[in-house]
Parts: sequence; structure tokens; C-alpha cells
Amino acid sequence: MSPRRDPVTTLAQLAADLGVSFLPAGHRELLGTITEAARRLFEAQACSIALLTEDGAELEFITAAGAGADAVTEMRIPAGQGIAGWVVMSGQAIAVDDVAADPRFAATVAEATGYVPRSILAMPLETSRRVLGVIEVLDRAEHRAATNRDMELLGVFAAQAALAIESSTVFNSLGRFLLEAWAGASKDEDLAALLRRHASTAPPPRKHMAEIAALFYELGQSSAPERRLAVRVLRELLAYTRDRREGDGE
Amino acid sequence: MNLPAWSEQFDRDRLRAVPSTLPPVITREWAWAGATGAGVRVAVVDSGVDASHPAVGHVEGAVIVEHDPDSPSHVRFVEGEHGDVFGHGTACAGIIRSIAPECELFSIRVLGGRLTGKGHVFAAGLRWALEHEMNVVNMSLSTGKQDYFGLFHEIADAAYFRNVMLVCAINNVPGPSYPSEYASVFSVAAHVDKDPLHFDYNPEPPVEFGAPGVSLDVAWLDQGRLTASGNSFAAPHIAGIVALTLSKHPRLTTFEMKTVLAALADNRTANDRAG
Repeated sequence: MSPRRDPVTTLAQLAADLGVSFLPAGHRELLGTITEAARRLFEAQACSIALLTEDGAELEFITAAGAGADAVTEMRIPAGQGIAGWVVMSGQAIAVDDVAADPRFAATVAEATGYVPRSILAMPLETSRRVLGVIEVLDRAEHRAATNRDMELLGVFAAQAALAIESSTVFNSLGRFLLEAWAGASKDEDLAALLRRHASTAPPPRKHMAEIAALFYELGQSSAPERRLAVRVLRELLAYTRDRREGDGE
Repeated sequence: MNLPAWSEQFDRDRLRAVPSTLPPVITREWAWAGATGAGVRVAVVDSGVDASHPAVGHVEGAVIVEHDPDSPSHVRFVEGEHGDVFGHGTACAGIIRSIAPECELFSIRVLGGRLTGKGHVFAAGLRWALEHEMNVVNMSLSTGKQDYFGLFHEIADAAYFRNVMLVCAINNVPGPSYPSEYASVFSVAAHVDKDPLHFDYNPEPPVEFGAPGVSLDVAWLDQGRLTASGNSFAAPHIAGIVALTLSKHPRLTTFEMKTVLAALADNRTANDRAG
């Protein structure tokens, strides 16, 4: 027998497990489409999105299109330096036309990717809750119009990407999100404080649940006979495990 | 108990005479001809300022504001010389110095390190500026985080009432941007003109002023320079012009300064604008 858990923690765990199974499909693909569309629109060499790590200390590139894309994806850089770092910290967009003029920054990038851009246009990804990361466009075509127009245009892509990221984050930590929302709506100060405390320690979704949710999603894409087969296999599996538990005397 | 008695100050026998600050016709000649920015304290709230950069020359004072989980206020202040973490603060200081060469520059470093507690660090930096009697504060940074709306509003209002002029870059991302969207600050976006004294006025807020901020040659790290664009380079142009005007007319209040800028904007039609 597992020790009885308080209802709030149980609710948080349930929500966490459920959240991943609702995760909108194709979130990564959507971000990939956004970077590729931005790259083409700006006639740029590359476009990438980097997100802040949980502790806010680093930026991790999660998607990239164009030159150096493979090298940069999953690369991490300290959030406390460089042009991208300034952008997430200040919440302001910036464009630099001669990146090589910032030797410290250029060296870091070159070392990691083997590709040093001439120009960078970088913009924060931000929601009303927090700063998520940065979107960068490297080496836009030189004939393009004034940089401030391009900045406004990139703002539209940034807003789209921030929404996609934020919604998937909510599904990934639905337990925490629900408790925070409940705390926000509560008029009882003590209850709100309790819920916030629970939210800060809310469990992440259990690893296997996320995997099972992903498998179900994949099954949903298959043909009807395949789905019927899957149902039969799962029923058999559950019957087998139930028998085994009873055999163990539980 | 003291009840606020705001009407008292308008009693006939108590009413103070207020010296006139604005001329019948506001001209650039009146506003800043012969002015250098001398005596005006200008703070750059950013990533630090490299005082040894030739574009900056020197700073009068500097403080680092950092997140400190062990302190009751969650921040700590380290006064004394410091460098620039990113290069941006030095760029802003260089722009202000080029317009108001004799102003007293102060660096308030709030960017760098981790993002933890950023909003509180930023707010503490602004409070430091108020407590240390800055006249002009340049902020090339903003947040869209709803949690900070009230906090920054309170500080921006306090600054307004003390005639501390907050000059803020608005951001390009759709959505809220604090404190740059408040009525109490000078909110600035970039335009393509290169003349440092060319600025425009927008009568449809939140963004009120446009100043150079596209493909500018600015000071950066390691005594270097680079070509950069952004609203964050437009704000220090307005901060410099405000400092210049304030050094010649130190009695101007924040709303009078906005009136001066609106009157002198380059997009004023010729009939309205003199000088």
C-alpha cells in the first residue's frame, strides 16, 4: 500500500500525467516551420530559436533553419553574454550589422558552429507571464528595406513562436499550471499561499506516461484495423498484468 | 490623524507664486543653444558602462544591482567602478555623451548574470536612481510580464512627481511593454534619420517620440564600435536632448519637458515650429 497522499498533490500528479497526453501534436514542427518561413521571408542565411533553461542561466537552441543549423541545434550558450543574452535580459530587439566587430561574441559563435554571420537580428520571445527565449535571423539579404521594418515583421513571428512554446509548456507542466491558476483565482489568502507552495513542488509528468501518450498519438494516426489490433493487444496485456497482481496476493 | 487637504495649497493667502518656465514661443535656440548638459545627472540603467571607452570618457558614479536571495529585499548593491557585460550600456552612454558632453553620467548595472529576479533587480535600480537624485534616467529595457505592471507603475509615478525624467525604449514585439507604455515616461522608438538632434513627435501614444536608431555607429566592448539598430539606441538620443535642455532650464518639470520636445519636433509643421 502506498501512503495516502493529500488531495492537492494527487490532483497535481493527475494533471501532470494528463497534460502530456493532451500536448498538441507537432509543436516542434511548428517552430521549425516558423524559423524556415522567417528565413525565407528575410532571404536570410539562417534563423534559429533558443529558449532559456529552467534556471535561467543558459540559452538552448531548440530549432534552426539554414546555414549551421545542425551544429547550432541543442547548443547551449550562457544567457549572461552576447547579443542573444542582452536581448532576453533587456526584452528589447536589436540588430547588429557587423558581428565581427564584437570579437568576444564572434569567437564564441564561430567556435561552436563554424559559421560566423555578418549580421544578426535578434528579438525576445516573451509572454505576459515570462521571457521564454530569443529568435535570431542571421545575414538577411543586403537589398532589404530598413532594419526597423524587418524588426516589426520579425515581431509577428516572435509572437507566434512564443504562443506555441507557451502552450506546450502549459501542457508539459499542467499540474503546476492548474495549481497556480487556482491560487490566482482564490480569494482565501491562506489557501492561495498553500496552493502556490504546492505549485512550486508540483511533480513533473511521469516519464512513462509521456511515452504512453506519445504512442497513443502515433496509434491515432494509423489505420482502423491497426487500431483494433492495438486495442486487442492492450486488453490482453492488462488482463495478464491483473492476473499476475492477483497471483502475488495483492 | 492627518487628512489630506489638497485644497489648502490653493487658499488665496497661501498660494505660491510660480516662476514662469516656458517662453511664449519655444525654439531650439531657447531650449539648448550654448548648453552642454553640465550639472545634469544622467543614469544609464543597462548592462554597465565601460568608463574608459573614448566615447564615454568617464562616469561620475556606478552601481551594480544584483539578485541576492539572502537579503530581505532580494537585491544587493555594489557601488564602484565596473565594466560592461554586453556592450549595450556603453553604446547608450556614448550617445548621451555625444549630445550632452558635460552631463554627469552614472551607470546602474541591472543586466548580466542570471535572469532570476530580473524584475526586482530592475525596479531596485530605478529606486537607486530616484534616491541618488538623478535628473534623467535612460532605460533601454522593458518587460511584458504582467506581475511587474503595478511595481513599475508605482516607481514611474514616483519619478514623475520628483521630476526624474525616465526615457524608455519601447519594444518591437506586439504586446505590453513596461514601463515604456506608461504616460509618465518619455517613450521612444527608432526612426531612420541619422542626425542626432532629429526627433519626431507622435500624438498617438503609447510611443511619443521617434529618434535615430537604425544602422548607427555605436560604442561597444573592448574600446570598439559596431553598427547596430534598435529602439534601445533611439532612447539615449532623447535622454541626451532632455539633459541638454535641462542644463539650460533646470526648473522644467517632466510634463513641461514633454511640451518642449513636442513643440520642437522635426515633424511639427513649419507654421507651428519656430527655430
